[in-house]
This record gives sequence, structure tokens and C-alpha cells, in this order.
Amino acid sequence: MDRAFWRARVIKNHLTQDPCTQTRSLSGAPCLEYSPPELAEPAAAFDVAAMRALLDGHNVAERDWLFGLMTQSKLFNPRRVGGRVFVAPDYNQSMEQQREMTMRRIEFLLERGVFEGWLTAGTAEGELRKLALQEVANMYDHSLAIKFGVHFFLWGGAIQFFGTERHHVKWLRDTENYVVKGCFAMTELGHGSNVRGIETVTTYDPRAREFIINTPCESAQKYWIGGAANHATHTVAFSQLNINGINQGVHAFIVQIRDADGNICPNIRIADCGHKIGLNGVDNGRIWFDNVRIPRENLLNSVADISPDGEYLSAIKDPDQRFAAFLAPLTAGRVILAASAIYSAKIGLAIAIRYALSRRAFSIAPNQPEVLLLDYPSHQQRLLPLLAKTYAMSFSANHLKMIYVKRTPELNKTIHILSSAFKASFTWHNMRTLQECREACGGQGLKTENRIGHLKGEKDVQSTFEGDNNVLMQQISKTLFAEYLVARKRNKPFKGLGLEHMNGPCPVLPQQLPSTVLRSDQFQVDAFHVRERDLLNRFAEEILQRQAQGERKEHALLSSYQLAEDLGRAFSERCVLQNFVEVEENSPAGSLKDMLALLRSMYALTCMEEDASFLRYGYLSTENAAAVRKEVAKLCSELRPHALALVNSFGIPDAYLSPIAFNWVEANSWSSVQH
Amino acid sequence: MASFSSSNDQEDQVLVEEKSFARTLIMNRPKQLNAATDYMISRFWELFLLYENNSNVKLVIIKGKGRAFCAGGDVAAVVRDINNGKWESAAIFFRREYTLNYLMATYSKPQVSILNGIVMGGGAGCSIHGSFRVATENSAFAMPETALGLFPDVGASYFLSRLPGHFGEYLGLTGARLDGAEMLACGLATHFVPSAKLPSLEAALHTVDSSDQAVISAIIGEYSELPMLKEQSAYHRLDVINRCFSRRTVEDILSALEREATNKVDGWILASIQSLKKASPTSLKISLRSIREGRLQGVGQCLVREYRMVCHVIRGEVSKDFVEVLQLIRRLLYSLI
Repeated sequence: MDRAFWRARVIKNHLTQDPCTQTRSLSGAPCLEYSPPELAEPAAAFDVAAMRALLDGHNVAERDWLFGLMTQSKLFNPRRVGGRVFVAPDYNQSMEQQREMTMRRIEFLLERGVFEGWLTAGTAEGELRKLALQEVANMYDHSLAIKFGVHFFLWGGAIQFFGTERHHVKWLRDTENYVVKGCFAMTELGHGSNVRGIETVTTYDPRAREFIINTPCESAQKYWIGGAANHATHTVAFSQLNINGINQGVHAFIVQIRDADGNICPNIRIADCGHKIGLNGVDNGRIWFDNVRIPRENLLNSVADISPDGEYLSAIKDPDQRFAAFLAPLTAGRVILAASAIYSAKIGLAIAIRYALSRRAFSIAPNQPEVLLLDYPSHQQRLLPLLAKTYAMSFSANHLKMIYVKRTPELNKTIHILSSAFKASFTWHNMRTLQECREACGGQGLKTENRIGHLKGEKDVQSTFEGDNNVLMQQISKTLFAEYLVARKRNKPFKGLGLEHMNGPCPVLPQQLPSTVLRSDQFQVDAFHVRERDLLNRFAEEILQRQAQGERKEHALLSSYQLAEDLGRAFSERCVLQNFVEVEENSPAGSLKDMLALLRSMYALTCMEEDASFLRYGYLSTENAAAVRKEVAKLCSELRPHALALVNSFGIPDAYLSPIAFNWVEANSWSSVQH
Repeated sequence: MASFSSSNDQEDQVLVEEKSFARTLIMNRPKQLNAATDYMISRFWELFLLYENNSNVKLVIIKGKGRAFCAGGDVAAVVRDINNGKWESAAIFFRREYTLNYLMATYSKPQVSILNGIVMGGGAGCSIHGSFRVATENSAFAMPETALGLFPDVGASYFLSRLPGHFGEYLGLTGARLDGAEMLACGLATHFVPSAKLPSLEAALHTVDSSDQAVISAIIGEYSELPMLKEQSAYHRLDVINRCFSRRTVEDILSALEREATNKVDGWILASIQSLKKASPTSLKISLRSIREGRLQGVGQCLVREYRMVCHVIRGEVSKDFVEVLQLIRRLLYSLI
């Protein structure tokens, strides 16, 4: 068609109105207005402050103090969005800028007295305060928490637990005051999970009374060493120790890597690990030791020592036992991680649920307003079971922290296995929760400013550092198998780790599962006991059978990985349910206790719905499994009116959530752009 | 908290001017530095509600007659009730006052307060929550409650906690005074207009025909200046204030200040230490906690919490300091008559 002719027709259409289009005026629906959840939702049915105290468990006032400290400082990047102030690092800064900001924020916190007594207080109360403040800093920025965490808990922890008096006197105060900046050089390019296989080698020169640490090949370079790339002055270096031709196993040594002016020391090479998918506020480095000489006293000698003449001395003769004793202190990291993973999930849920209480999509009847996201049963089931699990895990994290700070040698095994189980389960739960919450916020979940999506990249590492989750879970089944052998072979009752239920008769689960039974704690605990008992029996029998057929135990354990996985999960979930029941029992009768009961049922029944073991091994019939699933849907609708109060109970200040948790229309308005 | 009223012609306590779409409320008890009586608070409440629903009112202006804007709540009645053991009547005064504060904080129309003089305690409560606060070279702000055994109320836990850094803790605990330039610098005032220009400013505001905040801000902006802070202003030393007043407890704050005083003897540091040592210790602790909690709460929650707190204080449950101060003031008053 002739272009000019077509153009003329278009212009003609502008000038002459088509009569039918004239009558159809632009009367759309009235403009979408934001309505805060507080207006529509019922008032809290329980004491929110009391629930918060229960969830946080300890040091609520200190937590609020640190929240306030960070909100009030420009260093923490306060931004006004939609009439509210939010604090979050500027993740759009370059890697180098983010690293500098992280260090400056640590210096600010140091100056404000946040770290006072962290390494020198020595009381259980001091430990709890430290953990609480770490959790709060983590809610602001994972990089911040990791960076000072490496310094205090890894470097500082190594001095405290691997070192002896002389190390404490020399290093703890300077660490607490950041006179030295510490890091922790354990992982290598070739070895992460298998610490015993690391390739750095240390020998001893008796004439100079010095150790010589060396990186013999490229795979032995230290890798992922937080703080090493830019700032750290000292490190605890883990290395094989060769004395008089005998490899005595892995030991830890203090090595200075930078001088006070920040110059790298001689015979040390440092490179950057580079940009990461998250945590770019942490300067992870790679370290090579080129026959670095350190004084004999720099060996952290709580478990073994070297005489000045070069004789190896250790009270523990068996190298395996020595290694276990050596690594026992690293449980602190797992305890901390388990708890902070839950706080991250709380942030995701608080934002996603508040958003779902103000965001509408689709009408289900003509001329009706669009429906709130959280009024859709399917949306409820996406978020509310995760909310209940987060509550459950929160109580378990507190329980773990309490036994950790008051630990005695007898409790070591318990702490080891619980921290392994909870670190693995809770960090996985966090990643799953963040993903679900991100999706539940749709496109808004992609904005860094809205936090949830960004947290995915930041927290992803939690499932593989401080112990790979899969490896940790395998350790659970190994430990339970050892307990089984002791009980069955030596005919002793099960004792410890909550396994006492194995001593009694196997509970019989009712055939009919009406609502009242499904919600009773007795049924739920019995069901979890049945699962754990049966899986432990099956697992142990399979191992023993394979051994009887000539397989080596290690090989049998590997082959039975499927049962091992099921058993690890069963143990972990049973522990969490047990902790929840205790918290609920200790609550005085009232609305708070009723709320806990509802959440506990949601936790237990969701676990039953999600774990195929119940059907696979027949703990539930197919009808029962269907009844469980139906009950979960019912619980969702019963929890729905409490959703706002339940996330308010997290006690996370508004400034640490994100714009979509509040007036997201105002936050995106043109006038906001102009400022 | 200022001086005391004998029985006054109540209606004169609040004068009202109507000019086009603007309504000006004038606090008219100049001899008592415009201390807010129960009547004044009720009258304000009545008028604010009336204006909110009246489409012919676009703007509310508040000012004070004489050399004060408002020196605080008038405690004559409060003193009487407490000393007669009728704390509930005193509580009603506070409830009315805080409810008015809430109305102002959530008001749908702009409020311009002309702070041409003393603005303290309750006077801050009926101005700072409003949308615009115009300071002048005559402004004198303070929240002096800790010296009286009370705590900064009227929603101060909300607005003090939101000042930069920990300046709010400094003001609330020490009762420090600010001039107009300092009020602007920290955000308590939104504009600074020399008092000579006030008549022209008010005339300009009387011509307003919209409730658009941007329009009102622009009008005030035309008469505004950016005054220099005086050299010895404590606001220049926000870094030191933040360092000291961010500490967790009152004891830590005091020792931090004493440590600073050994380094460099700034006048405001010594004055702060003195104020803290003279104030009621219970007051200080309550005030600190109130401001810190208020930082994480909305204005409504702050006012609800403050009301609960003030009821405990006037019942003498927590400490007798406030009640004793009131008794002292009453004895002083009677000794003067």
C-alpha cells in the first residue's frame, strides 16, 4: 500500500472520531490503593512481646540496642524509601568498595563497644550476649557477620580452644581490640570437607627452634580464607606436622601474614578468590607459604606439643582421637550458623507475608475487589508451613545455644551431633524458604532493595561451608549406628541423644486419624519415634548384613546412603519436635500456648506430609497420609488470621525489612524518584 | 512545665483567626508562657477535628502570644490532683494531651507551627508532630523532664529517637537547650525564618488555597534562611555525642562523657555531666529506655506506651521523684503568694 496514502488515513482517523468509540469512555476501576495489613487484620490473639521473648530466647534488650545503633549511623547506609527509613548495604558498590565498607562498619561497632568481652568475659551470659549480637549483625548484612565472625569465632576461637595459657595471654586481648586482624587458614584448593587430607606441610628445625610451613604444590594453597585478601595480619594455619619423618597429623600454627602497615610478610603470597555470587563484602583470599619460619611457641598446643629439641608430645596417643579432640571446638561455628539461618528465614517470611497481606490479584466473583494473596489457600500453603517450621527450628536453635554455652565434656557428643543436624537442616530450610518467599513476591522479589532475592545469593554458602550439609547428615547416621551397636551388642539401653524411646515397645499408631488425634502431641511424637526407630533398625541391619557378606564397614555405610539420608532427617525432625513440645509444655495455659500448639501441629504434620518415608515404609496408610495432607490445609486456614501477629513476633524492626513489606505503592511513586 | 494559672477567662486562652482557607490558633496565656491547660488542649482538639472535616480549611497555623510559643503543660491542676491523691484526674490530662499529639501526627492537612520563642515539653508535643515547624532567632527548645523526675513524653520517644545519630538521647537525658539554628540543623524545625519576616510569611500563608505540602513548603521557603550554627554549638560535636550517648546504659553514658571531659573540655560536655548528675536517676533510665524503644515503634505505639509510663510515674510507683518535685513546686508557689 502506498505509504503516503496510509499515513493520510491514520491522520484522518485522529481527526474524525468513530462514533462507537466515542461512547466508550475510559472509566477504569478506581486507582489501586495500598492498605496496610494492620488495618484489615484482626488484633493479635496472643502477647506478641512474650512470643518474641520466646523466639529470641535471650538478650532481647541487647539485640534492640544493636539494631538501634546501626539504624542511627550513616555508615550503615540508611535510605528513605516511601516515607520510611531502611538500612542495608549498597550492594551496587564494587567489590572493593563493599569490602572497605564492611571493615569500616566493624571499626564502628568496635568503637561503640559491641565486641567488649567477646573473648575475655568467659561466662555463659557473656557467650549468649555475643551470640545475640552476632545474630543481629547478620540480619543487617551477612558479609559483616562473616568478616568479624572469622576474626572472633574462628581465629579467636582457635586461640581460645586450640591454644593454651601463653596464647591466651599474648593474643586474646589484642584480638578483642582488633590490634591484630585474624583469619583462619584451614581449607585448601584440593581439600575442604576432608580436613585430614590437607597438603600444607610443617617441619621443625630444632637448632633454630622454629617451625617451617610450606605449600608443596598448587592444590595445597589455602583457599576461601575470609579476611586474607585485603586486611588480615595473622592467621591460624592448619597443616600436616612431620616430626622426625613421622606424619603426626593436622595441627594449627599462628602465622603472621601482614605487618602493621598492611604489607604482606616475606615468604607469603596472597591472591584474591575473586568476585562471588554473594558475600562480596568479605575479602576471601588464597595463601601460599614458601618455607615460612615461625617460633616454636606458635604451635597451638592444647592437644599436642613439641619439646624445644623436637620431640613430639601428646597425651592422646591415637591420632584419630587426637584429631577429634582437636576439632571439637569447631562446633561453635555450627551452633552459630544454625541460629542465624533461622533469622534469615524470618526476614524472608516477614517480608513475603506482609506483602501477601497487602497485595491483591484476580477477583473470583464479578464486581468484587481482587483477592489478597494470602487469602488464596494455595498461597497459604506455600508460606504458612514454612512459618511453622521456622518457629520450630527457632526453639531448637535456642535449645542448642543453651547447652552449648553451658557445655561440659560429657555433652560433647550431643552438641556435636545436634549442631551437625541442625546446621544442615536449618540452612537448607533457609534456602528453601528464601526461594519460596522470592517467588511469592513475584517480580518485586528480584529487586535487591527488597532483600529476599539478594539473601539467596548471600546465604547459599551456608549449606557447604563449616561442614558440607550432606557430609554432616551422614555423620548423624554413623553416630546413630554406633549407638545402635552399643545398645544391641552390649545389651545396654539406649542413653542420650533422645534415643531412650528405643528402649520401650514400639508405639502403635492408631488406624483412624481424626483431627483431634492428628493434632495431639502424643500422636505426633509417636509417629516420629516410629519413623526414627524403624529407620535406625533398617539402616543398622543393612550395614550389618553387608558386613556379614564381607563388605568393609566404610563401604557398607556408603552403599546404604539412601537409608542414611532418611534416618538423618528423621533424627533431626524428631529432635526439633521434642524441643517444640518442651517449649509448649513450659508455657502457662493461655492464648500463647494455644498458638504454639497450632504451630507445633503444623510443623509435625508438614514433616509427615513431605517425607516419603511415612508411606514408603508403611508408618501411615495411604488413607492416613491423605488425612494428614487435608489437615495441613485446615491448619493453613486456621493460621491465616494470625499470620501478621506471628511475623510481628519476630521483633525485626521495620528498617531491616524492605519497601514491599510496607507501602510499596508510595515507595515506587514518581515523587520518590525525584528525591 | 511552667507556671500556674489562677482562674482565667478560659475562652481567651485560645484565640482563633480565620483568613481565607487558613486558620490560625493562638495560645494566649503570655504571663504563663502559654503553658497548656486542660481547656486549651480540649479546645485545640475540638478545632482540629472541625477543620479536618471542613473543606474550606486547607491549612492550620499555630503560634503563641508573647515571648513564648508554649513552655509546656500547665501543671497546676496536675499538682492539685496528685497531691489530693486523685491521680486518675491527672491521668486524664495526659491522655487528652497525648491524643491531641496523635491527631497532629496523623493530621490529613498541613500544620505550620511558628516557634517564635520558648518551645519546651508539651509545647514541643503540639508542634513537632505537625508537618511544618518554623524556627526563628528567638526559638528556645528543650525537653527538660528528667530534671523534674518525669521523662520526655508527648511523643518525644518518637521524634527524639529519629534525630540524627543519638542526638535524641542527648536532648532527652540532659534537657539541653537548642536555638533556632540548631533546631533546623537537627530536623526539629523544618524551616528558619527571621522573626522580622514573620508577618509577611503569615500573610503569604493566608493566601494558600491548597493543602499540597509542596506548595506550603515552597511558600515558607521564600522567607527562609540558612542560619549559621554558633561556634560552641554541641551540634558541631555530633561525633562525640554519638560516641557517648550510644552507650547501652546511663552509667556507661556518664562514664563516656567523663572520659571525653579529660580529653577536651567542651562546655557542653561539662554541662551535660552536671545535668545528668542532678537529674533523677530513675528518670534518666526510664527516659533512655523510652527513647530507645520508641526508635523501633510507630508514633501511636510510642504515645500509648508513654501514657502507660506516665500513669506509673504520677502514682509514685516507680519513684517518688516526680511527686516530690511537684510538691516542692507547690510549696514554692505558696511561699510566693
